[in-house]
Parts: sequence; C-alpha cells; structure tokens
Amino acid sequence: MGSRALLMLTNFNFKTTVSSFGSASNPFFLIKNNLRTRNFSTKTRSSLQPPDLPGLAETARISLAPNEVEEFAPKIGQVIDWFGQLQAVDLDNVEPAIRADTEGDNLREDAPQTFENKEALIASVPSYEEPYIKVPKVLNKE
Amino acid sequence: MLSTIQPPRYLSRFPLRGRTKSRSFHILSSAQPVTKTCFAADQSQILSIRDSLLNRHLSAVELTHSYLDRLKQTEPHINCFLHVSDPDKVLKQAQDIDDKIKRNEEVGPLAGVLVAIKDNICTADMPSTGGSYILEGYRPPFDATAVKRLKDLGAIVVGKTNLDEFGMGSTTEASAFKVTANPWDLSRVPGGSSGGSAASVSARQCVVSLGSDTGGSVRQPASFCGVVGLKPTYGRVSRFGLMAYASSLDVIGCFGSSVADTGILLHAISGHDSLDATSSKREVPDFTSQFTYASSLKSRPLEGLRVGLIRETVDAGVDSGVKSAIEGAAAHLEQLGCVLKEVSLPSFSLGLPAYYILASSESSSNLSRYDGVRYGNQASSDELNGLYEESRAKGFGSEVKMRILMGTYALSAGYYDAYYKRAQQVRTIIRKSFKAALDENDILISPAAPSAAYKIGEKKNDPLAMYAGDIMTVNVNLAGLPALVLPCGFVEGGAVGLPVGLQIIGAAFDEFAKHKCLLNGFFERNL
Repeated sequence: MGSRALLMLTNFNFKTTVSSFGSASNPFFLIKNNLRTRNFSTKTRSSLQPPDLPGLAETARISLAPNEVEEFAPKIGQVIDWFGQLQAVDLDNVEPAIRADTEGDNLREDAPQTFENKEALIASVPSYEEPYIKVPKVLNKE
Repeated sequence: MLSTIQPPRYLSRFPLRGRTKSRSFHILSSAQPVTKTCFAADQSQILSIRDSLLNRHLSAVELTHSYLDRLKQTEPHINCFLHVSDPDKVLKQAQDIDDKIKRNEEVGPLAGVLVAIKDNICTADMPSTGGSYILEGYRPPFDATAVKRLKDLGAIVVGKTNLDEFGMGSTTEASAFKVTANPWDLSRVPGGSSGGSAASVSARQCVVSLGSDTGGSVRQPASFCGVVGLKPTYGRVSRFGLMAYASSLDVIGCFGSSVADTGILLHAISGHDSLDATSSKREVPDFTSQFTYASSLKSRPLEGLRVGLIRETVDAGVDSGVKSAIEGAAAHLEQLGCVLKEVSLPSFSLGLPAYYILASSESSSNLSRYDGVRYGNQASSDELNGLYEESRAKGFGSEVKMRILMGTYALSAGYYDAYYKRAQQVRTIIRKSFKAALDENDILISPAAPSAAYKIGEKKNDPLAMYAGDIMTVNVNLAGLPALVLPCGFVEGGAVGLPVGLQIIGAAFDEFAKHKCLLNGFFERNL
C-alpha cells in the first residue's frame, strides 16, 4: 500500500521548465530512479554534502548512541535525497511565503501583564533552589 | 440517526461479545429534538443534549455516567486516553449543571457536553505530555485558549488523548506511552497524529474532541475512524497553548460525529486572541445559523454548486476501494445538483517534500525549548551541554529525533537556500494554484488518504512510505485553507469494513459557507 502511494510522488509532470537547472546532470531521470532504489547512495541529487549525523546531533544538542546513528543515517539520507527533488523546480521570481495568510500585523499592544500562576511555573522546574533555577557548570567548547 | 455512517447493509450487526465499539446509544436516542430545529441539528449530539437537558428529559449526571461507563468499557481495548479526569470531579461538574438548570439559571451552550482534548494542547489541571517522555507528568500553568473557551461555555473535559509525539506521525504509534487502536478494527491504526481524539469520538467515549492538524493530523484520522474532522483556516483558532510543532502550519481542529457538532465546536473556540499573533481578527460568523431547515429545501438542493475533484488525488497510487468511494460520493453530489468537474493542480505532488522540509525545519527550532531545565524530565550531567544532550536523548522518541536532525540539516548555513527557502517558494506556488482553482469552483474534493486504515506496525520502519500517505492533506496546510472530512463509504477490511472519508476544501475563512453547509448536511443524510 505504501509503495503504491509512492507512485504518486513520481507523478509530478515537469511542465515547469528545467532549463534553468544547474548542478545535477539528469534531473528527471535521477528523480524517478532515486525513489525506487532504496539504497542509500552518496550521490545526492544536488551538489550538497550528505548529512553528517554526529555534527547535526551536536548542533541539535541531542546525544546519539552508535546504534542510533547506524539506524538513522540511511533513513535520514533517504528523506533528504527525496527533499532534493525541489532542486529541479523552476522557482525563479517566486516569492517565498513565510506562512499562508497575509493579514499583516496582528501584534498586541506592548504593555506588560502580570502572570498570576507563578507557583505552578516554579513547581515545574526540575532543579530549583530558591530563587535560582539550578544547572550544572557551563564548559566552554574550544 | 446517531452516527453519520452505517456499515454496508449486507454485513451483520455487531456482535456484542468482544465488540468494543458499542453503538448502543439508548439514552440519547430517546431524546426528541424540538420541532423546527434544522435538519442538520437532528444529527447534532450537542443540540440534542442541550435539548434533553433543558427539557429535563435527561440530567447531566445521567448523561455523564453513560459516557464514563462506555469509556471504562472500551478503553482497555482501544487505549485512546493518556489521562482520564477523575470521575468524581467530572460528575461534580455535571451536578453543578443540573443544579443550575433546576434553578432556571442560564447554562452555556456546551453545558454537559463531554470533550476530549489532544495531549499537545495545554490544560492546567491535568498533565499535558505532548505524547513525549520529556514532558511526562508536566502540568502546564495555564489552559490553552481553545480549552478555556470550551470550559467557559460549560463543556466538561473528560481527558487527554493519545497522539504521535509532538504531532509527528500519521499513526499514533510514535507516542511514548501507548498505541491507540482503531475502533473499527483493533489490529489497525486510528491514524495520526490525533488518533486518540478521533478514536474516542468514534467509540462514543465523548461527544466531541479537539485535535491538531499540521499536515493532515485531524483529517486523516477522521477518515480512518469514520468520524467528521474539521481543519479550520490557519488563524481562525488561537494556537496559544498548542505545543508548537510547525508554527506556520499548525492549527487546532475539531472532531465530532456530525458536521453540525464540529461547526458548533469550531464556533466555540474560534476568534482573535491577543496571545497569538497569528490569530486572525476577522469576525467569526455564526456557523450554526447557516444550517438550514429540511422543509425549505428542494429536491436538488445543491443546484449550481461548483465542485472540483482534484485529478491528482484519484490517479495511480490510491487504493481502488477509496477511489470508488470518492467517485460514488461525487456522483451523489451531482444527483443533488452540483456541477462536478475535474480540476488539475500540477504542483500538487511538490507539496509533500515542501511540507516535510518546512515542518522538520520549524520543529527543530520549536523543540529546542525542551532542554530539561525549566520543565520536563531532566537527565543528570556534570555540565550544561551534557544536560541538554542527555535530557533530549532520553526524552525524545526516534521519529522526533530524526525530524529534528533533518530540520537542523535543512536550516544549516549553506543549505537554507537549497531547502527551506525553496520549500517556501513552493508554498507560494501551491497557494496560488489552490486560489485559482477555488475561484473557478466553490469547493474542491478529494480523498483524505490514499487508503483506509492499515495494520499497526505496517509502516513503522519506512518513513517515506508513511509520509507518502499524507499526500492528500499537506497541500491544504501549506495553503492555510479550511477542510472538512466526512465519512462517505467503506472498503473491505476488518470485521465490518473500514471507513473512508471525503475531504472537502474551501476558500480561506470559508469553513461553512452556506452552500457548503447544505452540501454537508444533505450529504450526511443521504449516504
């Protein structure tokens, strides 16, 4: 069932021009093929480096066990390859949309308001030593 | 008629033994609606509850007992709830409502209505975990605006429902705590990420429920569980108190057993909120006043309504059973007077990778607040970075970790233009194409998912296969449009068949346009 749904992903007709496309040599072919071959290949659609999982984990402040790196790397690689199909679309002169609506400013007045339930806020803190939220020492990474 | 769908006539009725999904709704079925209520209201549990309470046919306490009993009976089999309210507290609220009615005092329009809330929506007096270990036991110091509005109108919150962790998933299997089963077939998923909310309405454990929809998380479970699911326009409902997953896409949505109920619920929670800068200042129409009387409708009540069936959603890749259910629904619409045509949206399939880029990227940013310092589970470490890394490693599940890592990659220096910016440009293209299609048509229709509910465990190890199932729903989030899913048929599977939902997409802020209401109400009636 999933593989049939995947067929839909290949249905995109390249009505948009691909002439302005730069790096990869054979975009259409690559996209169709890539979705069927499930092997993680180092040849990505674009010229970008494949994800460096340990580096990303450090940036995201999540420690990954070695078996997790092994498990996630192919899956993440596969998904990022799949993301690469956007490289093939002609997006010249298209404005990026931050979000769907264009209602403009809906900011409220910049006036402070007191939050009443402070005890509940403090009660949620795992390590609290009045009046400090306690954390271990900060080491500078060189 | 208590439910909007009936299983095919040739199948036998549910045997009670071993059947956890009880449709025996004796107490409510004896409630007589007041004459002259609109036809859609005949289907509305909320209105019939109100009617019964005010006419003293039923007390809130009796009603609450009936729901709580059913919850207790069905819950061990379907596991919808992460937290169930203390029954004594719930009954006390019901008693208060009965006392007020006895004293002829005003009660809110949702008085006595039992509501379940998805666990990524904050409730001050109950744990709100977002389905994650990192927030196990967390009690927010405030109610979400949507919850506050429901409570102010007299609704009774019966508990917090299960979900995929932080809304990331399409099956509810990614919850840290339990897997919810589909009431139609306990070996199958209820859909996700609002699986618990959909299943609890489907199993009549509560009257209505709230969920959240970022890429289809209300609509797909509604389709899988055979209930009505509504995704409002982005900005219609305040997101204050909804744990953020992808801020430009998230909305709070409604589940009910009828279109009328979702409309009433939506009206209760909609409207501008100064605590949410993305909430719209537009006036909220009274959706319920747009339902019309059965007597005033002609034989072809939807005459002239222009309906566009999105061609790309009935192409290859969609189950044949789903396709025929949708085609049947489309034919029925034509009988009711609609002008049906096929609409093509060539950029349709781009929406899926664009959605996952945007959602992963925004989630990597939004979930950085879970650091184990100010709330949630804290791991021990002798230095700060270690504290962050360990708390998050232990607290987050695999799907969440993968999406954070993908998002971190897509936003990294040098890659932003290639991924995130391009996805935002694709969003513009999709918005424009939907707008053009909705200029030519009053509504667009499609299936809500390429298949009916699949087996638990089937898609667990294949992320792309799972993502592929969202193809029908993500474009609507990218465009910020409202959409309603309502049951329109069955496919083979399970003991009595599996439900299939029809997705109806409208123009922005046009959730229940008059003609759409007619459409929905009539459609339900005649299925």
